Amino acid sequence: MKRFAFFPGCLIPARHPAMEFAIRETLTKLDIEIVDLEDASCCPDPIFFKSKDKLDWLAVAARNLTLAEDIGLDIFTNCSGCTATLSETYHLLQDEELRTQVNERLSRIGREYKGTSKVRHIATLVRDEIGYEAVRASVVRPLTGLKVAIHYGCHLLKPSRIMQVDNPDNPEVMEKLVEAIGAEPVRHRNWYLCCGKACRGDEIPNQMMRDLLTTVNDEQADILGMICPTCFGQFDHGQMKVGKLFDEDFHTPPIYYFQLLAFAQGVPYEKLGFERQRFKPTALQRYEEVAAE
Amino acid sequence: MAEKTGKRKSGGDAMPSRSHDGDVVRVDFAFKRELAEKIEGDLANYCYQCGACVGDCPACTYSDGAFNPREIMLMVLYGLGDELIREDSILWDCTNCYNCHERCPQQVKPVEVIISMKNMLADRGFAPPSADKVIKTFLDTGRTVPPNPAIDKQRAKFGLAPLAPVPVDEIAKILGQSADEDGAS
Repeated sequence: MKRFAFFPGCLIPARHPAMEFAIRETLTKLDIEIVDLEDASCCPDPIFFKSKDKLDWLAVAARNLTLAEDIGLDIFTNCSGCTATLSETYHLLQDEELRTQVNERLSRIGREYKGTSKVRHIATLVRDEIGYEAVRASVVRPLTGLKVAIHYGCHLLKPSRIMQVDNPDNPEVMEKLVEAIGAEPVRHRNWYLCCGKACRGDEIPNQMMRDLLTTVNDEQADILGMICPTCFGQFDHGQMKVGKLFDEDFHTPPIYYFQLLAFAQGVPYEKLGFERQRFKPTALQRYEEVAAE
Repeated sequence: MAEKTGKRKSGGDAMPSRSHDGDVVRVDFAFKRELAEKIEGDLANYCYQCGACVGDCPACTYSDGAFNPREIMLMVLYGLGDELIREDSILWDCTNCYNCHERCPQQVKPVEVIISMKNMLADRGFAPPSADKVIKTFLDTGRTVPPNPAIDKQRAKFGLAPLAPVPVDEIAKILGQSADEDGAS
């Protein structure tokens, strides 16, 4: 069994515990041992806290990385924002001068950043450490015929020189993960667009979301699959808001990929917290009925 | 106010929004020096204004060009700090999508230069209230979503442990320059 330190961040544990539940369920079935990191803080967030002071941001992120170094494990994240912060920190601290500066900060609390724990988003962890075939083998109810529009979001892929996850112009990790559970991935025309959450004000994100959701609608997908809790909020509550604002019928239920995987692995629909979503992925229920027969 | 030269500067076309058409551009070197102190703040120096960052910038597309990363990099090169480092700065319209970082052939990382300028904005108290709120929550609780009993109740439904407290005192210690940092070792 491979062991990895789990960095859950803020949003998923507090706002979307169903996602955390699904991660723990699915990874255990895939033979990954999850080791919880004690005393971890917010990554810290790559939008606001980084905007305050980049060196403070690096120091806090480096402190989080040292917690995994202490136990000699690589880290996996479940949020694209945490992935951005921690991966970028790992990358930036290869610079000796910057590392010295950050270690001066950490020395105040008796810590030292060494750069021995790598950071991976859970999607790439599954791809690289488990493999698509093992995911396929863990599925007890293949979601045959389920059309899943893909939303990659920004920080899983970019900047690719730092994230080193996939080709940012033609990625495949999400498509392959969706195929592994028997479903059919579809790429809508605006797949490349950002969810807009990090932008000030409403006008730019609203217009952007309208265009994005329009092309999602064109595909008539059953659900919209994603791997970031921030994007999820934009597509759940946000989709409702933007639909009302522009008087459009936007209605594709978003799902965090690992909830979808948990469902395909046999976790009952009602145990996955979907009742809390504005748009409920009821298309899944037909697979439950088939399985019950 | 600069004197009119009566002749349009070559850079004028790049910034149609600038009203003082024909003015001498006075480079604010203090601004450039301060920006260079920030992590990756000096990268704009390598910008040759190719515009590769523009096409894929969603903030540019959806603001009808009002937010334009190439123009912002040009303002930095010109040292036009006053236009960027001020209340209600356009820099906050950046969506942080990192497309410009991805596209830039010069590794300018426009988004990083923009975030470094946001650091300058924050130093002056010009961060938007939404940013201040998130930062305060983090400093108080070590999280951006503060723990509360309702969250723990939700977590319990999924068999998850309550949110653990974060050692915020420890985090406070690693923030900011220490008083003796210059004299250390």
